[in-house]
Amino acid sequence: MTSRTAAAAPVAVPKPSRLSALTHPRVYVALLLLSLLLIVPALSESAFIIHVFVTICVFAGLSTAWNIVGGYAGQLSLGHMMFYGIGGYTTALLIQHVGLSPWIGMWAGAALSAVVAVCIGYPCFRLRGPFFSLATIAFLEVIRLLAIHFHGVTGGSAGLIVPLKIGWAWMIFQDKFNYLIIAFGLLLLTLIVSWAIRNARLGYYLTAVREREDAASAAGISPTQVKLKAVVISAALTSLIGSFHAMYTTFLEPATMFSLSTSIEVAMFSLIGGLGTVAGPLLGTVLVVPIAELARGWLGASANGLHGFVYGTVLVLITLTLPGGLVGTFGARVGRWIDRLPGGQPRPEQEAPALRQIGGMPGETMLEAKNLVMRFGGLTATDDVSMVLKRGEILGIIGPNGAGKTTLFNQISGFLQPSSGSIAIVSGGKATTPATADAFARAGVGRTFQIVQPFGKLTVIENIMIGAFMRNPDVASARAVALRVSSLVGLQHVREVEARNLPIGDLKRLEVARTLATEPDILLLDEVMAGQSQTDTQTMVALIRAIRDAGVTVIAIEHNMQAIMSLSDRIIVIDSGKVIAQGDPQSVVRDRRVIEAYLGEDFANAQGL
Amino acid sequence: MDVLVQLLLNGIMLGSMYAIISVGLTLIFGIVRVVNFAHGEFLMIGMYATYLLATKLGWHPYVSAVPVVVLLFCVGALVQRFIIQPLLNADEHIQIFATVGLSTALVNLALMIFGADLYSVSTPSARQSVSLGGYTVLSGQLVILACALALVAGLHLFMQKTPLGRAIRATAQNRNAALLMGVRVDRIYIISFGLGAACVGLASALVMPLFPVTPTIGSYFVLTAFVVVVLGGMRSMYGAFAGAMIIGIVDSLSGYYIAPDLKEVVYFAIFILILIFKPTGLFGFGRGTE
Repeated sequence: MTSRTAAAAPVAVPKPSRLSALTHPRVYVALLLLSLLLIVPALSESAFIIHVFVTICVFAGLSTAWNIVGGYAGQLSLGHMMFYGIGGYTTALLIQHVGLSPWIGMWAGAALSAVVAVCIGYPCFRLRGPFFSLATIAFLEVIRLLAIHFHGVTGGSAGLIVPLKIGWAWMIFQDKFNYLIIAFGLLLLTLIVSWAIRNARLGYYLTAVREREDAASAAGISPTQVKLKAVVISAALTSLIGSFHAMYTTFLEPATMFSLSTSIEVAMFSLIGGLGTVAGPLLGTVLVVPIAELARGWLGASANGLHGFVYGTVLVLITLTLPGGLVGTFGARVGRWIDRLPGGQPRPEQEAPALRQIGGMPGETMLEAKNLVMRFGGLTATDDVSMVLKRGEILGIIGPNGAGKTTLFNQISGFLQPSSGSIAIVSGGKATTPATADAFARAGVGRTFQIVQPFGKLTVIENIMIGAFMRNPDVASARAVALRVSSLVGLQHVREVEARNLPIGDLKRLEVARTLATEPDILLLDEVMAGQSQTDTQTMVALIRAIRDAGVTVIAIEHNMQAIMSLSDRIIVIDSGKVIAQGDPQSVVRDRRVIEAYLGEDFANAQGL
Repeated sequence: MDVLVQLLLNGIMLGSMYAIISVGLTLIFGIVRVVNFAHGEFLMIGMYATYLLATKLGWHPYVSAVPVVVLLFCVGALVQRFIIQPLLNADEHIQIFATVGLSTALVNLALMIFGADLYSVSTPSARQSVSLGGYTVLSGQLVILACALALVAGLHLFMQKTPLGRAIRATAQNRNAALLMGVRVDRIYIISFGLGAACVGLASALVMPLFPVTPTIGSYFVLTAFVVVVLGGMRSMYGAFAGAMIIGIVDSLSGYYIAPDLKEVVYFAIFILILIFKPTGLFGFGRGTE
């Protein structure tokens, strides 16, 4: 009875094999261009050219790894060289003291870097913008100063020379081309990881968290967790490259291994190429590094400072003229050209997987809030509010502006911790209280925001996918779910439009769609009809009814009285943080306290109530 | 005991130098809401200007303070007008990159012009030992302390008593509301950024007799200045002053009792702890002046 109607049996679309991706023009064009990084120096045979290309591969790799945190997660680390340094020192010290091959040592360094990344990331991710950057600089400085201080271990400022054992086992060669092969391999590894993240749930989640942390939490995403994943991967990759580079230069000193200016350069290459894009960091490096290296080669010491001056100036100019970087500005156009090449046909859409079945008995308690008190300084926004939600009902919450309705929502969706009182989600006879907003979402409490929170730079479909990922980790099925939901709420005509370009009515529906895509048991709707036209309101009322008929229990805050009265099975009225009346719609509208709250005492008296 | 008092005194002297460098940074952050990563390079520009005036014209650094303050005001105003202002509504990371890029460009420009050598101005009058009840400080340090106090007092009066100061405070508190009240917010920002830079111009002339200038002198001081500003609650001039004193004393004590090369580790550790556990600053001024 309460189970949702099962979707039509999905048509079996054969899953494309990994190798078939090679026939996609974007993949083969990228691989062809990448191979130039090996072919050009192989043809030239000049040691200097090989050195330049090793440098390009190393910095492109570092920048690509940085971009996972700085671009995808939007956490502007300016201390990333700490992982490079940790990798280099760990590998070199393991060779020196234990005689361990760098091929193994580099993984030890990566593991250590990952641990350090968690220890730094966990407390620092709450810092906003520039303060996160400052904290990462401070950590980098601390590590550099410690590396100088403990000179017994690291060789201090005087530096450390890598034991020169030649051969593949020791990653030190007379033929410089071998270095290029390893550097290229590491770059390829970093690019593949970066590409895979971009095209997986993690990539979408990182974008969501970067754009709007609250909306991401409401979609069941734990911001700290996804950022930690990003920083761990980024740190490990940076560390691997650092280990290799130490073998290449065979000399380590704290000033270069933990350098602030190199950290800035690495971030800069990403910005020039395009922050948060897969190809951007590589492109930025390829453009800038050769200029700097050639200038250094031609002008020698007389050009002291020239390349830094050029870097800094380019950086300022890019922020002023092309803040999206090269890929962000021209990427879409170039992408379309490439897609015209053979193999670029769009892939068939997958069928949406069946909806999750909602069980349970109608009328049983689903959510129970007891004596919720929420104080903000001297203001008590909710004062001893208790409520029970029954399975299958539509519960309306009304009250004048500032009555505390949204504060109540924030508490029963985990966005605010009540000052006192308790909330329990009852599922299968067990009562639980999730600790965070994202845990509430995963427990089946979906919410919309009164002030819409779209992910502006994502398309409508991608916005809905962020919600769909909660129960469909796979990108193709999340997309299929999102397509279905977009048709359900009437957004199919703007599917591929970026959310920031939508009018308010569509944005309100997008809020509902993103929440619906999480397939909640309980749907909290915060003024979804505000700003909607008359017809849109009717569509929305019908939609909410259909959602309820599919087995979802709904709580709606609404100012549109006509709509909420006709929709609700039961109404709770809140005024000045207190529940002043509850019951069926007809009795509530006649309640004297409700009339007083809305229209004043005089009006109530005049009506003779 | 004697050592401790001398160390505390040294700390206060050092603190007053950090204070005079940090006041401008606080001003810019508090009003324009931009973290100026190039602040240290403003100091460097001021110090090179003081150096040039001293060597080419034979001016005493304290005399040079006047033209250097004017010069830095102009530099700050130009930076605001042509770099920060177009980016005011841009993403935060773009603003960070812009000032970081400016900082990189200026350091390397100095490297191209002056090379990596140390330049100092010989000013015996600022390096005289002054005895205070058996403890010694340098006369130049006392001048810095006096100027730091005067600067904070002067800025306080300016902010509280003048119409321009009131407009600046209004803009700092609510940019849109100020705009609606007819305040020319763009102009206020240019003036404020210029003022912040001018403060560091004063600092550079006063610091010159005590420290040699190099292209990287800015990054040496600016990281400390950021520590001070965060400690003081980011937007409060008085908080920054108190924070500077604390860092000065921590610097002086940890350099003696722990290890000279670890004193920065100590105050960076304090910095990180404050950022994480008390982001409104030690005294909670951060929120009060919001």
